Amino acid sequence: MSENTTRASSPSPVGHRPHPAVEALRGGLRAIWGNRKARIGMILLALFILVALLAPLLAPYAPKDNSFDRNLGASAQHWLGTTAAGEDVLSQLIHGARISVIVGFGAGSISTLIAVLIGLTWGYITGFAADVVNFVVNLFLVIPGLPLMIVIATYLQNGGISVIIAVIAITGWAWGARVLRSQTSTLRNRDFVQSAKFSGERAPRIIFREILPNMTSIIAGGFFGSATAAILAEAGLEFLGLGDSSIVSWGTMLYWAQNSNALLTGQWALLFAPGLCIALLATSLTLINFGVDGISNPRLREGSTGR
Amino acid sequence: MRYALRKVGLFALTLWAAVTLNFLLPRMMPGSPADAAIARLSQNGPVTDETRAAVEAQLGVPDGNILQQYLAYLDQVIHLDFGISYAFYPEPVSGLVATALPYTIVLVGTVTVIAFILGTLLGVLAAWRRGTWLDALPTVGGSFMNTFPYFWTSLLLLFFLGYVAHLFPTFGAYSATAVPGISWDFFVDILYHAALPAVTLLITSLGGWIIGMRNAMINTLGEDYVTFAEANGIGGRTVALRYAARNAILPNLTGFGLALGGVVGGSILVEQVFGYPGIGFLLFNAVIGQDYPLMQALFLMITVSVLVANLLVDILYGVLDPRTRR
Amino acid sequence: MTSNHPAQQAGPSGAGPSDVGPPEADPSDVEEILSLQDVSVVYEPVGAAPTHAVRGVSAQIARGEFVGLVGESGSGKSTLGFAITGLATAPARIEKGRILFRGRDIASMDQDSLRSQRQGGFAMVLQSGMNALNPVRTIRKHFHDIFAAHRHVPRARREERAAELVGKVSLGPEVLDLYPDQLSGGMRQRVTIALALSLEPQLMVFDEPTTALDVMVQHAVMDTIRDLQASEGFTAILISHDLGIVLESAQRVLVMHDGEIVEDAASADILHRPRHEYTRMLLSHYADPRAEVVTLPGLEDRAVLRSDDPSDASAENPASSSPEPADPSAEPPDPSAARSAPAAPAAPPAPAASSDGASSRRAPVSRLRSGGTELRLQGVSKVYPAARRSGRAVRAVDDVSFTLEPGGATALVGQSGSGKSTIAKLITGIERPSEGTVHLGDTSVGDLGRSGLRDLRRTVQMVFQDPYAALNPLNTVEYTLARAVMNLTDVRRDGARRRVRELLETVGLTPVEQFTGKLPHQLSGGQRQRVVIARALACDPQVIIADEPVSMLDVSLRAGVLSLLRDLRESIGVSLLYITHDLLSARLITDRILVLHDGKVVESGPTARVMRAPQDDYTISLLDAIPNPRRVLTP
Repeated sequence: MSENTTRASSPSPVGHRPHPAVEALRGGLRAIWGNRKARIGMILLALFILVALLAPLLAPYAPKDNSFDRNLGASAQHWLGTTAAGEDVLSQLIHGARISVIVGFGAGSISTLIAVLIGLTWGYITGFAADVVNFVVNLFLVIPGLPLMIVIATYLQNGGISVIIAVIAITGWAWGARVLRSQTSTLRNRDFVQSAKFSGERAPRIIFREILPNMTSIIAGGFFGSATAAILAEAGLEFLGLGDSSIVSWGTMLYWAQNSNALLTGQWALLFAPGLCIALLATSLTLINFGVDGISNPRLREGSTGR
Repeated sequence: MRYALRKVGLFALTLWAAVTLNFLLPRMMPGSPADAAIARLSQNGPVTDETRAAVEAQLGVPDGNILQQYLAYLDQVIHLDFGISYAFYPEPVSGLVATALPYTIVLVGTVTVIAFILGTLLGVLAAWRRGTWLDALPTVGGSFMNTFPYFWTSLLLLFFLGYVAHLFPTFGAYSATAVPGISWDFFVDILYHAALPAVTLLITSLGGWIIGMRNAMINTLGEDYVTFAEANGIGGRTVALRYAARNAILPNLTGFGLALGGVVGGSILVEQVFGYPGIGFLLFNAVIGQDYPLMQALFLMITVSVLVANLLVDILYGVLDPRTRR
Repeated sequence: MTSNHPAQQAGPSGAGPSDVGPPEADPSDVEEILSLQDVSVVYEPVGAAPTHAVRGVSAQIARGEFVGLVGESGSGKSTLGFAITGLATAPARIEKGRILFRGRDIASMDQDSLRSQRQGGFAMVLQSGMNALNPVRTIRKHFHDIFAAHRHVPRARREERAAELVGKVSLGPEVLDLYPDQLSGGMRQRVTIALALSLEPQLMVFDEPTTALDVMVQHAVMDTIRDLQASEGFTAILISHDLGIVLESAQRVLVMHDGEIVEDAASADILHRPRHEYTRMLLSHYADPRAEVVTLPGLEDRAVLRSDDPSDASAENPASSSPEPADPSAEPPDPSAARSAPAAPAAPPAPAASSDGASSRRAPVSRLRSGGTELRLQGVSKVYPAARRSGRAVRAVDDVSFTLEPGGATALVGQSGSGKSTIAKLITGIERPSEGTVHLGDTSVGDLGRSGLRDLRRTVQMVFQDPYAALNPLNTVEYTLARAVMNLTDVRRDGARRRVRELLETVGLTPVEQFTGKLPHQLSGGQRQRVVIARALACDPQVIIADEPVSMLDVSLRAGVLSLLRDLRESIGVSLLYITHDLLSARLITDRILVLHDGKVVESGPTARVMRAPQDDYTISLLDAIPNPRRVLTP
């Protein structure tokens, strides 16, 4: 903090030095890292991202190379065996990480963005407009997500991964919006918001420059939450055959596994591995959220017994 | 009373919005679902004008009068007349839904109530014994299980307990040889078939309740009324249950709607894997057969069921929180 | 250990042992109920440096005593209170020392024996009594939970006993059927006292029992506590930041500062012969607003009796009318001196020593305005429509008229709910009046549109109550000020930077370079409030509305902020509307006063005259509710 003081004489009145919010973010990352569960989550997540990035280098074969014998069990050449179409399961598994990571981050980001835009605006406005938004958000909350996704995805047959991302994002923002809204309406009654009004700030700037940076941890929590949900939803849609079944993802692997009766051929690795990867990736995000929760709510910090 | 009336009013409004959304969805989609449906229908035989009109009321025609369609659609919904299924031609959609609905409601309903109670108790225990293995195990275990994809858990249980160990049936809601009726044997058979789907749903949904309740209770444990109760020497069990948990359960109930929607969604995947003849399995078949009328009707029924469950939870909330009674 | 006897511990025993100690018994015979021996409490939050909140505290409390424990925020007084009642839980830990309650060490007791000690032992009334009751249980069930836990009241007697207990705190048995949210704040605090009393404790610790309450409710609750202590005979420890309240009730006072007890003496000695510098400093910030001459360190008397015209500079006559030195380090100032010895020889007041660390050097501002804008309220009322639940329209402000002259200073005094904050909202255009008009010069504030309101910010600015909340924790001081400058004036870039520096100098935050890059959490409360004031000054407003600007600050920091507000008015010529419940500060910095009650102005006039000769019953009861140790402790 001391460099802050010494650099205070820098010529800019608004400040080009690292913004306090950036420093708060850095502090936040440190705090998350300090949480044991979150640390495991971050390592796990980094591992998955690395695998996704380096998939072509790591995978022993091309994911769609179907020149092998079909329905092979585990062997030295094929650690996890081959599929009913004669593809290497391990290579598919490694490449499948890409789809899940992309969908998780893509749909997670988009629905978080929608949640932020709607949640913050909604928390700031009052009166009839707020009631209307409240109703719409509640509607999106109570309508079961997966059935809605299934219906939309069925109408948009074979739209590819971007359609899946869009569908998940559209159906998945409501919870985040509600959480952000309640936090915003708490903050909007804080004096610093009134104070900004008296400084002549306009509403959009108050919402996104004054209020938003104070909710970083909640937004991060929302992001990891919706990324988790997105990964699971994508896998579910792929499994039902509603995605693009020609791509290699963990969901399609299980789709083909079930369709080719892997249950009967006894290839448990083919059933076991993709699902475990989905679960582990989702778990890594959930674990990170234990640390994020601790920032938003000091009572949830590890080690503080609260009593 | 005012609270209950407001909730019922909100329910009615939400119901209307859901029904309308169901009307708008196919009309907002690119292409013409109605034309596709009629084309699909014509594979089963000649399409009468009457049928065509019914399909168009349901799925929309590009140039039609939207208001007239809407009124016709509302008329259909009120009479629970959703037309003829294509996938199960010539069964009427409403009959198919009526057959499947009880399976899902009983399965999801029972599992949700059990998961809520069990998860809440474990969450209370975890928060009360914070920092011990009673906290770590349910919390980490629960959040891990919570990330299991429903269909994966189903596949594993089906594979190991069904195909490998032959402990449980692998398909359907009752044995092919069973005689449906009100008899003890049939009841046991039904339970036997429902066991694996139920366990799957339970495993996957339990973690959410544990963590939700744990976090809520950790919050209430920090409240002044808990400190004051301890300062007054009130026993640990009373403080934990009647002070901390009793208040922590309220925000958890509010999350019920979201969770319920999730479990219903999960049940679709579970039913598909186990071939369990509920709403989810039917929806899956409707999707595969591009049976739009059936799909629309199922989506509506699922939404309405979740709405009704939410209304019940809201009323329960009103009973549990004295502040809503005024 | 023997040297810790109360009589010896009580500081000025050499000075005057005859008036020390509990009046009812000779100190040497008194049985000790509580003995603190070298108690240290440390906070050990995970991932942060441990804080030693209580450091080696020793004290003895005799049976039947009423002891005050006084200190400012962060002094460790509440931490000590929690340790005494066996409620210190992680991250707080009793590091060392013994807390002997009737000879048994609480610090080393396990939870079960601690629990059994609570009945007939020690009880605690929490700071925020508002939240100390379980919202889903009726008051009756709260009592029954305690009876069930200790089984000290036979089942058949429980109902009767509960009614009896609420009766002791002046509540009727009908409250037993109610839920906590159906009770007012004062009633809730009474219920928590009755609950603590139901344990039949020998020792009761009251941790800031009245802090969240209005002055008059505060007064009534304190009366109840005093009466109960007398009738039930328990030993009482009253923890408070307010020396006035403590002196009025307690026989003996422990003054706590930075985790240590710096003074332990009988109340009369604390008041008349304080020995520790810190105690003297605390005392110097108390005065009776009704006195002829009122002075705080750094705040000379306004001597407004002669000056209804505030622009008359000669009205400031610090030297001639100040009866006592304002320098806290000199002879102990006595708040009563103003009244009891008005003719005492005058000493020149010491320069304002702002105790929050900010330099008191003021920028040479000499932009005294000749013709400012007048603020005029005429027959203003504000009615809020019936809320969804209560179903009754609320008349928050009822037919209020007053004029704030350019450069004038008017106080708006009242309790919460009196409508004073609503008036601020009406003047700043946040709300529109239901009847009447608010005029600023020729502008009718109620008729302004969105852009008109933005323009209004250049003329009317606001200083907020809570400096901890009024600054965005993520924005530097420079950013906060520069945004106000750039939004409200045409000054840009270098000009804006210069203006920010000028503002910091004006509010005494120098050297400026040390403050521009700071974040709010790096500043003390007083410094923060100075930043808030600087922000309000960014555009040279004509009217400043200060809404309880010092109520969240420790007493020692208040005078500095108050004197800044007053100086600004005189040096810049801005007019000040000072909203407060605190009559003393109103007396010190305003010329005129309006007393509000239930939305109506019940009394108005020159501040000094209203305080010295109040006409309205409500004003009189407000004045009477101010803690006044003199009443009980006149030597």
